[in-house]
Amino acid sequence: MKSIKRSQYIISLFIILFIAGMAVLVIKIRTEAEFYMMNSDEQVLGMVYDRNGGVLFDGTGKGQYEDNFFVDVGNLIGDNKGQMTNTLVAQNLKKLNNYSFSSGTVDDGKSAIYTTLDHNANRAVYNSYGWQEGCAVAYNYKTGEILVCTSLPSIDVTKGYDGIEYFESGTLISKNMYRTVPGSTQKVSTVVSALEIMGTDKLFSKSYNCSGHYTNLNGDVIDCHNWSGHGDQNIQQALENSCNPFFAQLVEDNNDLPLEDIIKQYRKMGYAVNDDELEYIDIDGIQCEKASTTLIDSHEFRTQWGCIGQGDTMVSPVQLMMWQSAIANGTGKMTMPHLIDHVTDINGNITDTAETKFSKQIFSSDTANTIRQMLLTNGANHYVYSISGYTVGVKSGTAQVDEGAKENSLLVGFVDDPNKPIAFCILIEDKNSGYLTTEQVAKIMLDSINLN
Amino acid sequence: MYINVFLYTISCIFVLLSHSAMLLNVYFNGSSESTANVIILAVAVLGLDFAYFIIMLMFKQRTYAIDFLLILILNMSVIFQSCFGGVHLSVKHYITCIVSLVACKLGYMICKNHKWLQMQKKYIYLAIGILILAILTLTGSRSMWINIGSISIQPSEFIKPLFVLACATSVAEQQKKHKFLWFYVVYENFALYGLTAVICLLQWWCSDLGSLPTFVGIFICGFFLRICYPKAKFSKKTLISAGVILLIVALIALRFAPDYVQERLHADIWNDKTGNGYQQSHALIAIADGGWFGKGPGNGSLCNIFAHENDIVFATISEEWGLLFALMVILAILIMIAVPLINPPRSYYHSTMSAGVCAYFIMQMTLNIFGSCNMIPFTGVTIPLISAGGSSMATSGFMVGMLIAAQSPEFKNPDGRQYRNAPVRRRTA
Repeated sequence: MKSIKRSQYIISLFIILFIAGMAVLVIKIRTEAEFYMMNSDEQVLGMVYDRNGGVLFDGTGKGQYEDNFFVDVGNLIGDNKGQMTNTLVAQNLKKLNNYSFSSGTVDDGKSAIYTTLDHNANRAVYNSYGWQEGCAVAYNYKTGEILVCTSLPSIDVTKGYDGIEYFESGTLISKNMYRTVPGSTQKVSTVVSALEIMGTDKLFSKSYNCSGHYTNLNGDVIDCHNWSGHGDQNIQQALENSCNPFFAQLVEDNNDLPLEDIIKQYRKMGYAVNDDELEYIDIDGIQCEKASTTLIDSHEFRTQWGCIGQGDTMVSPVQLMMWQSAIANGTGKMTMPHLIDHVTDINGNITDTAETKFSKQIFSSDTANTIRQMLLTNGANHYVYSISGYTVGVKSGTAQVDEGAKENSLLVGFVDDPNKPIAFCILIEDKNSGYLTTEQVAKIMLDSINLN
Repeated sequence: MYINVFLYTISCIFVLLSHSAMLLNVYFNGSSESTANVIILAVAVLGLDFAYFIIMLMFKQRTYAIDFLLILILNMSVIFQSCFGGVHLSVKHYITCIVSLVACKLGYMICKNHKWLQMQKKYIYLAIGILILAILTLTGSRSMWINIGSISIQPSEFIKPLFVLACATSVAEQQKKHKFLWFYVVYENFALYGLTAVICLLQWWCSDLGSLPTFVGIFICGFFLRICYPKAKFSKKTLISAGVILLIVALIALRFAPDYVQERLHADIWNDKTGNGYQQSHALIAIADGGWFGKGPGNGSLCNIFAHENDIVFATISEEWGLLFALMVILAILIMIAVPLINPPRSYYHSTMSAGVCAYFIMQMTLNIFGSCNMIPFTGVTIPLISAGGSSMATSGFMVGMLIAAQSPEFKNPDGRQYRNAPVRRRTA
């Protein structure tokens, strides 16, 4: 009988191992079922709403909407068709899926994403571009709620993707999330670095001459947009004038502004410098590219242009806007942006609710307050009429792209108003193709945003 | 004849009620466009139930527990298979279930007397040899299938019960050690090792390694019981050494596995949904879609996927009937193969055979269920008694017959005399 017992042990062992495996399988299926259903062709998705309850995406496909109703958010909100992957819907299918393992797929489920976007403001900004292209993003720098995020050209996802091969380049992405040449808006980062490294007093004591161009120590010429030159200037004047020779001479001042320290500060602000690995900012699943630049030698042409805003420097509009939040808050900490305010499950219960988060300190509060005042002065001196009704701190930029064939216009800034704490970045591509200015877009944007 | 009328009646009622409940579910929740289809299915299922209840009484057995479980599971599979893609009796599967029942009784008849079977071991090896030759000569270019008109037969399936018997027959030879050079060896073991190697090579040659783990499982089971045989006198060191060698062989095999095996070992099913992950990804989606309680018989969509009725049948059942019900079916199979734990066989031969059958069932279910759910590489073997396929159903039925034989052995010498010390057992249902 003892020998027969052994065969029973073996049978028991086989059965126990199998049952253990089955238990693991059931747990695996139970926990991953929603992921499996995200890969199903028979998804029943819920809705995406804006901050006022307006529809931004209709997963049921049953609603009736006017023509191009979703075009201003098309490449940000996206859909589940797989053509646009870096979008809110594509990255949050699990939250939108009207499915639970217990109930299965429910056609009239209440899974929904409630975003922080203001669809009216977004549409107004989109329409303001007319035939011109570009992108604009704005958020509440106190809470991190993204209010406006539009990118042109775009697509109304309800119309499908017929003729996709003829779509204009950039139609299927939100350009706010991707790096572009920052132009003179980069000078904000350079001023921040200089303030951090040499301090306010020393930086303000610096004065350089601009004769319309500057020949650096390597013999390369840095041109200013003002051919007649700005004359002797301090940092405030140079920032307001966006004077390239001033900043080239500042970067070349290796004694008070060592390049290694600039690189260190840039990295602190999130730049991938030289061969650093490119990183991303996660905004509710949407991947936003972080900045990058090349800084080799303070006398080198490319390095100097990198600090001025050309060269190899690339920054996404979202990141430019986030730096403005660190300035506007006066803390040196960026407010992390988010698009999702809250999420409801299949039964309509709120599951996820957004929380305001801040980055680690990227520069000191003293630096933040100094640069904040500099930008506000710039706003007061140059933008009172064009962005009327708002106390703004701003910095404009013009970026040469396509080997200098085209110029993009940028404007970054913030509103100094506790009732309308908005930071923004506006980009108009090929600015000379039309008459639209970034200030006009900013004015329309700020007027149309309703924070109540 | 069956002695406990009460237990027999209760068991019959249980089986009938189970099938009736399933049929009612098909009627109320199924996708049948015609009530006639459900009635035909009900008549076929309940008719087969009644027929088997009567036929099983013609076989004098000490217990009929496994028979009841067998008819319960087989007719469940008839209902499942008849609902895939809409409710209509799957005549082909129904016939293979009848074949399975016949094979079961055949297996019982052949295996109930281990003394007789022990004497037929040369025919077991001969039958395996013939089947291997058939695979090598009749299946065409490196395949496991023989196609005769519209019927496809997989001879390698039939090797499985014979291999279990070969493992069991070798057990009694363990005390017959012979000195060979400096070693004491058992000739029978060499024959079995050789046979195992040939089967493994055959699988590799046919580029169909799906069943290899099943054979290895049966072999390990038999090997372990051989070296633990009371008179075999193998030490624990031998046992551990054998385990280590087996592990090393397995690792080397995995390392140098052919490309098509490597692809399956490293398949990322979600990034290869149209390639190596096609069936697994659809199977997992279907299980998730079915949830705990299923979408209803005939309402599934997995029936449009290749091999939904055999290789990924667990997912197909889960989608239509729910994961809970699919687990209950697997539990029924587990209970059937666990009967030897409650009602131990009376001979070491039969207990080895039962363990081999258990290994077969467990390995097949493991490969099928865990493979289709992407927990292990997908191999495409069948779930015994559930998956469609004549060869598999006949083999599984025969294996169940072997289990029944171990429960109701015949202790007679080949000359017809009863053993002197034949054990007596109370008859139960």
